[in-house]
Amino acid sequence: MGQTLTLSNVGVALQRGGRQVPVVENISLSLAAGETLAIVGESGSGKTTTALAIPGLLPEGATVSGQILLQGQDLRRLAQRALRKLCGARIGMVFQDPLAALNPTMRVGAQITEAIRLHLGLSRRAAWARAVELLNEVGIEGAAARAADYPHMFSGGMRQRVMIAAALACDPILLIADEPTSGLDADLKEQIFTLLARLRADRRLAVLLISHDMSLVARHADRASVFYAGRCVETGPAASMLRSPRHRYTCALLRAAPRLGGGVPAAIRGAMPEPEAFAASCRFAPRCDHAQAECVATAPALTAAPDDEGHIAACFYPATTPVAGMHVPSAAAPSPALSGESLRVEGLTVRYRRGYRSGTARVAVQDVSFQMAPGECLGVVGASGSGKTSLAHAIVHMVPYEGRVLFRGEPLSTLRGAALRRMQLVFQNPAASLDPIQTAGAAIEEALELGGLRDRRQRRARATALLEQVGLANSLLDRLPGTLSGGQAQRVAIARALAAEPALLVLDEPTASLDVSTAAGLLTLLRDLAVRLGVGYIVITHDVAVASVLAHRVAVMQNGRLVEIRNNVPS
Amino acid sequence: MGRVAEAIATLFFLVTLTFLLAHAVPDGPAYAILGLKISPERLNALNTQFGLDAPLWRQYATWLWHLLHGNLGFSYLQTRPVAAVIGAYAGRTVVLYTVATALAAVAAIGFGWLHGVFYRSWPGRVCSGIELFLYAMPGFFIATVLGMVFGSWLHVLPACGMADLHQAAPGLADRMAHMVLPASSMALFVTPWLARIFAQGVHEEFSRDYVRTARARGVGFGSILLRHVTPNAIRPMVTMLGLSLPAIFSGNVVVESVFDYPGIGWLLWRSAVAHDYPVLVGIVLVLGVATMLGNLAADLVNAWLDPRVTYAE
Repeated sequence: MGQTLTLSNVGVALQRGGRQVPVVENISLSLAAGETLAIVGESGSGKTTTALAIPGLLPEGATVSGQILLQGQDLRRLAQRALRKLCGARIGMVFQDPLAALNPTMRVGAQITEAIRLHLGLSRRAAWARAVELLNEVGIEGAAARAADYPHMFSGGMRQRVMIAAALACDPILLIADEPTSGLDADLKEQIFTLLARLRADRRLAVLLISHDMSLVARHADRASVFYAGRCVETGPAASMLRSPRHRYTCALLRAAPRLGGGVPAAIRGAMPEPEAFAASCRFAPRCDHAQAECVATAPALTAAPDDEGHIAACFYPATTPVAGMHVPSAAAPSPALSGESLRVEGLTVRYRRGYRSGTARVAVQDVSFQMAPGECLGVVGASGSGKTSLAHAIVHMVPYEGRVLFRGEPLSTLRGAALRRMQLVFQNPAASLDPIQTAGAAIEEALELGGLRDRRQRRARATALLEQVGLANSLLDRLPGTLSGGQAQRVAIARALAAEPALLVLDEPTASLDVSTAAGLLTLLRDLAVRLGVGYIVITHDVAVASVLAHRVAVMQNGRLVEIRNNVPS
Repeated sequence: MGRVAEAIATLFFLVTLTFLLAHAVPDGPAYAILGLKISPERLNALNTQFGLDAPLWRQYATWLWHLLHGNLGFSYLQTRPVAAVIGAYAGRTVVLYTVATALAAVAAIGFGWLHGVFYRSWPGRVCSGIELFLYAMPGFFIATVLGMVFGSWLHVLPACGMADLHQAAPGLADRMAHMVLPASSMALFVTPWLARIFAQGVHEEFSRDYVRTARARGVGFGSILLRHVTPNAIRPMVTMLGLSLPAIFSGNVVVESVFDYPGIGWLLWRSAVAHDYPVLVGIVLVLGVATMLGNLAADLVNAWLDPRVTYAE
């Protein structure tokens, strides 16, 4: 006893294409009051499905097997009505992307009081007072006034605090937080986790944290479970898991995450299987460098490691060396002799007018100056709202700016056609930046045609070569963006940019929408391309580690100003 | 300021076009007033009296000059100022319009709920079928059928006029009874696609993250539908309702003609037939203003429904 939440042999099958497909199986976990358990995994691992199964929030047609005990009470045996009484009262949930997860047309106070009035039966006024108290507790300044505001009037971090206040409204014993900090920059991530830690200690909360970020988990969770393809492959104390992971997938995942001074992240070959293709044997085996015949034949059971406390892994050939020793020794940052000047930015300022015909303007970028040599990679890092994306958009001439931008000696504003195309931009979300009804091949060929390649056969051949260059098979030429994975789509977007034979590629958060292992592959590719093609990059990112993988120099933006530009120390 | 100037320019263009089109039609009001067999002398005399023998540009200039002074002109047919004529008829239409729009909105919300909640199962498909069927019906046909069934065959509702002329002083109940068929016919023109738009909204909003958050909070289905989904799903419908004022009006012309309801639509029809240019152009002007006010009202309602919408001014 004493466990707040216990899952035993939980399995979930979802309705997919008219049949029941098992997406999660055989999950056993337990979580005590005052403890944080993290479920770590990439998209498709089943971590969110498992979390949603607990309060019964899975989509219609889903079936759950096994036992889900909340303080000894089996939630699966409860009627809908009884379960709903627990949701919001005993179980609080925090979702990712609070802008979408909060009702845009309802005052935040009303969203917090909703659960209070429903479960505690307080009067309207008393519930509102309680909401203000909660907003205060999660660190919202001027809570009494802000309770009447709408979600869009809060910043990203504040919005997530509102979400947390709403989840805690009825003093739950279990808080389920599904990627609570995705989309927030590093500072805000830390702030939210600090808040969660404080609340957990104050209220003796059991926290189930869903995340894909191993390093965050190691710092903020007591224990962690790594999920892969619907199974739990490893469970143990979070800190020791980061230091000495056992399962080969955990090791690979750790090596794939870019780390400051950590050298080149190592991509994991292949991709996670779809639930329809889940094997009975070890599901990581096809991507594993250590797989033997045994791994492909049977599934390993979760077994305890000989050494430490409660660390169990489902691997026939677990790793024995700590992860630090396993990290790929970093090839020094590619440093061709950097001389000459490719880009010169002088006193660049970007202003956005507030509203239609309004006199006031918001200054997004203020007086930024720097130069870049041909083939140089510059990382631009900063918190959200620091002006880094506006800077990138001004450099490629997408927003009006003041100051001077010289590209290869010529003012940008005088460049037309071919000269301007030597500078290319790759967007953050490849799925949205590719035309959904244009095949990958057509997207690349369009860029080639703009570059003056008239012959259709030559275009096709060149497009194939470009795809190969970004590590994609030519069978993808005729695929529509909707059928490509995130990593593939981003590679197509890069191939399209390369079609113009750019001297400078501006990459806006190239890996932000990708999974860890996919992102590692993309970073490796980008680094490779820089060396082979001599193309220079401006990498816009909120993740210093990503910048450190690619960049020769790192520029730091803060409140629209360039506060520092330093050499990236090769590790 | 920009918006008002834009509206005035649009109205100016609208009335000019209507003025020219009305005068482009052969014949003139004299025939309607004196009959088709009048002598050329009398025709010329009447045209001179009305100023219709002047060149078209002078007629237009005179009319515009008067309009700038707030004078809409004089009806040939009714020998009254246009403003007075329109004023007499407009009130009845405004009442009919309000009742019809309210009916349409209520019906569309009811239908849209059913359709949107059961979007992919059979009740939704049945709703969708009914909506498509009604949508495909021409307006005059619906009005005629309703008049025939409830008025002529069943004799449960009056299908003609706006009050019982046999009574000395028709009461409110009588007036309301006379409004049932015209109002329902008008509502039926717009309900199907308003319902469709609303149903689409309900269906989409149900898949949003905030609905899942509400469920995680323990909110029941009914409250989710009423408190969360409906306020968000209703916005496109309100916009469409504002934009569809002219469409409702063209339905109104048909309905008032079929049911002989003496409103603006009926007046428009009569004035067009009789070449009563001043009334015709006056009605178009009033409708133009009404349409713009309708759109403005829809925008304001939307701004009230959605706190994210603001109008910088």
